[in-house]
Amino acid sequence: MEFGTQTIQELLAGYRAKNFKPTEVVEKYLKNISERDEKLNSFLQVRPEETLKRARTLDAQIDNMSTLPLFGIPLAVKDNFLVNGWQATAGSKVLSGYISPYTATSVERLEAMGAVVVGKVNCDEFAMGSSNENSAFGPVRNPWDLERVPGGSSGGSSAAVAAGLATVSLGTDTGGSIRQPASLCGLVGLKPTYGRVSRYGIVSYASSLDQVGPFSRTVWDSARVMEVMSGFDPRDATSSKRSVPKFTEELNTNSKRTFKLGVSRAWLEGVDSDVAKSFDSALEVFKKMGCEIVEIDLPHTKYALSTYYLIAPSEASSNLARYDGVHYGYRTQSAKNSEELYSRSRGEGIGREVKLRIMLGTYALSAGYYDAFYLKANQVRRKIQEDFEKAFTQCDFVVSPTSPSTAFKLGEKTDDPLKMYLSDIFTLPVNLAGLPGLSMPCGLDSRNLPIGFQLIGKPFGEAELFLASHQYEQARGQFALPSMLKGKG
Amino acid sequence: MSLEKYESVIGLEVHAQLMTQSKMFCRCPNQFGSSPNTNVCPVCTGQPGSLPVINKKAIELGVRAAVALSCEIHPESVFARKNYFYPDLPKGYQISQYERPYSTQGHIVVRLKSGDEKRIGITRIHFEEDAGKSNHESYGTLVNLNRAGVPLIEIVSEPDMRNAHEAGQYLRALHSILRYADICDGNMEEGNFRCDANISVRLRGTEKFGTKVELKNINSFKFVEKAIEYEIQRQVFAIESGEKIIQQTRSWNSGKNVTEVMREKEQAHDYRYFPEPDLPKLMISSTWFEQIKKEMPELPKEACERFKKAFELSDYDASVLTSSKELAKYFEAVVAHCKNGKASANWVMNELLGRLNAAGREIGDTPVSETQLAELIKKIDSGEISGKIAKTVFEEMFATSKDASSIIKDKGLVQISDPAALESVVRKIIEGNPSQFAEYKAGKVKLLGFFVGQAMKETKGQANPALLNELVKKLLDS
Amino acid sequence: MLSREEVLKIAKLARLTLTEDEIAFYQKQLTRVLGHIQDLNQVQTSKEAFVQHVPNDAESFREDRAAPFANPEGLMRNAPAVENDSFLLPTIVEHS
Repeated sequence: MEFGTQTIQELLAGYRAKNFKPTEVVEKYLKNISERDEKLNSFLQVRPEETLKRARTLDAQIDNMSTLPLFGIPLAVKDNFLVNGWQATAGSKVLSGYISPYTATSVERLEAMGAVVVGKVNCDEFAMGSSNENSAFGPVRNPWDLERVPGGSSGGSSAAVAAGLATVSLGTDTGGSIRQPASLCGLVGLKPTYGRVSRYGIVSYASSLDQVGPFSRTVWDSARVMEVMSGFDPRDATSSKRSVPKFTEELNTNSKRTFKLGVSRAWLEGVDSDVAKSFDSALEVFKKMGCEIVEIDLPHTKYALSTYYLIAPSEASSNLARYDGVHYGYRTQSAKNSEELYSRSRGEGIGREVKLRIMLGTYALSAGYYDAFYLKANQVRRKIQEDFEKAFTQCDFVVSPTSPSTAFKLGEKTDDPLKMYLSDIFTLPVNLAGLPGLSMPCGLDSRNLPIGFQLIGKPFGEAELFLASHQYEQARGQFALPSMLKGKG
Repeated sequence: MSLEKYESVIGLEVHAQLMTQSKMFCRCPNQFGSSPNTNVCPVCTGQPGSLPVINKKAIELGVRAAVALSCEIHPESVFARKNYFYPDLPKGYQISQYERPYSTQGHIVVRLKSGDEKRIGITRIHFEEDAGKSNHESYGTLVNLNRAGVPLIEIVSEPDMRNAHEAGQYLRALHSILRYADICDGNMEEGNFRCDANISVRLRGTEKFGTKVELKNINSFKFVEKAIEYEIQRQVFAIESGEKIIQQTRSWNSGKNVTEVMREKEQAHDYRYFPEPDLPKLMISSTWFEQIKKEMPELPKEACERFKKAFELSDYDASVLTSSKELAKYFEAVVAHCKNGKASANWVMNELLGRLNAAGREIGDTPVSETQLAELIKKIDSGEISGKIAKTVFEEMFATSKDASSIIKDKGLVQISDPAALESVVRKIIEGNPSQFAEYKAGKVKLLGFFVGQAMKETKGQANPALLNELVKKLLDS
Repeated sequence: MLSREEVLKIAKLARLTLTEDEIAFYQKQLTRVLGHIQDLNQVQTSKEAFVQHVPNDAESFREDRAAPFANPEGLMRNAPAVENDSFLLPTIVEHS
C-alpha cells in the first residue's frame, strides 16, 4: 500500500480496522522523505531511529487508540518550533546546531495525543519571507513544479504535506506564512485567531502577530489538529481562556448551513486573471449552496502593507536581539573584543532579508521616530480592525483569493523585497486584525498550479470557518494531486 | 574652598528585589547563592520561543510598597521593553515600565539629626526584572544568569535632598519601610537593595540645576554618606577651579575613599522603548487594591505610635526602637519576657545599642538574646542584683554571650538584701569612722552618703542600695 | 534617500557588522520601504486608538509558586563557550 496522501481520517480508520500499525505507516513516510525530499529540500532534520522508537510505543497502544485522537499521525514541524532534543534553526545560520532544551506547547499537545514527529522542516529565515528562498539551508521547491516556490515562510511545512512526506504539518503565520504557501501548494492552511493557540516554544518573529496553525489535505484534518492543539496555556500570557469546541464533532453532523460572504472588489484589484476566475467560480459554488454574496468595504486594507512592515520589523528587531553569540547559537571566530563579538556574530549569522527588517524595525523604534512610525502604524492597525468589525455586521465571512498569483519561479522576486511583500496583500490584514483565516484549494491555473480561496472569520470563529469550508470541500470534490504524486498513494 | 556657598541637589534611585517565591516572569526559585546557571530556565535565559508570565505576588508587593510610600496607584499600567545589548541581559532587552508605570507621586517623611522632619518626594515606582551578573576577569567576562529575572521595583525620588545626611536618612527610612512591610529583604551585601545617586551642585539661591553626575556601586549604608559627601566636594572644588562638571557615571571606590569615572555618558542610550507585546496591560483592580491595603503589615510609623502608647515611651525612644523591624521585634520580645517596658527600653537603647554601634554590629548579630536581656531585667526587678551590678553583668554578657545567672554565680554578684548581714556591715563602718559619726551627729546630715558609700564599697557594690540607705539612716539616727 | 551615516548608525544600534555591498543594498531598500510607508500619513488617527491585540480573556498573572526547570544542562549545552559553569566571552571593555 502506498502512503503519503491519506488524511488523518483515513489513517485512523485504517488503524482501527487493524489494516496497518504506526510503525508501518511511519516507515513508509520516512521512505517517502528519503526518496523525494532531495528534490524538494523541505526537511532540515529527520531522526529515523527516534521516530520509529516512538512509533513502536504507539504500536503497543493500538487497543486504546480511541483516547488518542491523533494516533500514529505523521507530523512535520516547522524548524522555528522548539521540540526537545531536535534542532531548531528557524532557517537561520545563527541557530545552526542549536538543540532545543524544551518542547513547544502546541507540539507537546499533539504528541500527547499520538502524533509522531517525522522531522523538522525548512522555512524562510526567522519566518520572514513569502517564498522560502530566504532560508540559510537552501530554498524549498514546490512539489507541483520544482522550478517554482512553495510559498513562505512555512514553505517546508507546505511542500512536505503536498508531497506526501507527512500527513499534516505545523507552521506559523505572521503575515500569511501558512495561508499563502497552503494556497501555492494546494492544501488547507489555517491561521487561528490571535490567542487561540499557544505561542510558547515558537521562535518569535512579531509577537503581536505570530500564530501557530496546521497544514492538511482536508478541512476535517485541520479541525482535528486544532481541537487537540488549541486552548489556554499558562506559559503564554497572550493565550485566550476561551473554551475550544470539538470542531470535528460539528463537522461530523454534516449540517448544511448558509452563510453571507463579504467581498470587497476594491481590495481584489490586481489579481492574476486565472486566480480571479477561480475565485469567482468558488463564489458560484457557495451561491449554489444557498449562500449570499454581499459587497463590503475595507477602506484601510490598502495601508496593510505599510502597517505590517512597520509593526512586524519593529517587534522583530527586539525579538531577535537575543541572537548575539553569547548564550547560544552562532559565534563569530573573528572577534577581537566583545563589541565585535556581537556585531560580527549577528552580521555573519543573520541573512539579508532578516537584517533588512531588523534595521527597519530598529529605525522605526529609535529616538524621535516612535510616534511617527510604530505608534502611528498601531493606530492605523486599529482602523483596519474596525473595518472588519464593521464588515462582520453585514456578513459572516470576508472572502478573497489567498494570494494574487499562483506559485512564481524561484528567483523571480528575490531582487526586490517590496515586490515580494506584495504576495501577502490578502493575508496581512488578517494578522493585523487578529482574525482567523483559512485557505483552501479552489482551482488550478493554466499551468496546473493550485489557487487558494481565503475565508476570514470573526474572532474565535474557527468552528464557522470549518463548517463553511467543509461544505465547500464536499461540493468541490477531491482536489488534484501534484504530478510527482500521480499514481502514488 | 567655600562649601557653604553651594548646595547640592541629590536624587536617589533604589532597586529593591521583591520577596517572592519565584522570579518575575518565570517559575525559577527567587533565591540567592546557587551555583552558577543552575537557577535558570528557558524564560530567564532568553531561549528562543520563551515567553514571560507575570508573577502575581510581585505585583502585590509592589502595590504594598506604593501604599507604604503614599503613592498614587494606577489601575492600568504598561510593561515596556528597554532594548540594549549586554551579556547579562540574555534577551537583549529588559522588561520594565516606561511611560506608564504602576505608581507615581508619593513621599517619605524623614527625621533628621537636628530633630527636624523633611518630606522627600517620590516621583515614581515601577516594576522590572533584574539582570544576571557579569564578572570581568583578565581572560574574559563570565556571565551567571541565576539573578536574571528576579523581580524588582525601582523607586525614584524627587531631587529633594540637599546634603549627604538627608540622603542617608531617606535611604534608611525607605529600607525600614520595605523591611517592615515584608516587601524586600534589604540586604545590601547580597544586592537586593541597591542605590544609585544623582548628584549636582549649584550656588545657594540659584534655581538652575547644575550638571548631574550619576554615582553607582554604593553597596553599603556605611558608604552612602561618605560617597555623596566626597562627590559634592569634588564637584565644588572642580567648579571653584574653573572646570566644567562633565555628565558621567562614577562609582565609589571604598578602598581609596574616592569616586572614580566608570564611563562617560557621551551619548545617552537609545533604549527604543515600546509596549511589551508578550504581556497584557497590568490591571490593578480597586478590589484587589483594597485587599492589599487591608493586608498591609505594620509600618514603622504605626509601630512607633503603638510603642509610644503601649510602653509609654517618648517619641524619640519609640522612633529609635522602631527604626528597624528586627530591633522592634527584639525589644517586644524582651518586654514580653520581663514585663517591664521602661526598663527594656532603657537597656536596649542605652546598653545594648551603644555597644553594638561601637562594635559595628547590627541587632541581627547581637551577642545577647532577647530572653537573656529579659532575665537580667527580671533579676533587677526582683532585687537579686542592683542596677549598678547589672551593668557589670551585662558587659560580661555582651562579651561572652553567657546567661546572667551563670555570670552572677561565677562572680558571686548576688545582691545582698539580708538586713542582718547589712546591719553588721553598717555597724562596722560606723565604728570604723568615729569622727565622721560625730560630725553627722553634730548635724552634718550630708555624711549619710559617705556612710552609704563606704558600706557599699565594703559589700563590693552588692548591697541592695535602697535597703542599705534605710539601714544606715536608721543606725546613724539611733 | 537615507544617508550612509544613518545606515551605519542603525547598524550600530542593532549590532550588525555590514559589508560595503550590504551598506549600499540597505541604503536603497530601506529608503524604498520607508518611502512606501509614508502612505500612513494619509490616515487620520487619534492618539488613544492603539490596537489591543491581547485577547480580553487572557490570564494576566500566575501564582507565585516556584518550580525549578527540569533541564538546566540543556540550556548550557548550546553555549558557545563556558568557563566555571558560566558563559564566557571576551572581556567587556565598556560597562553598559
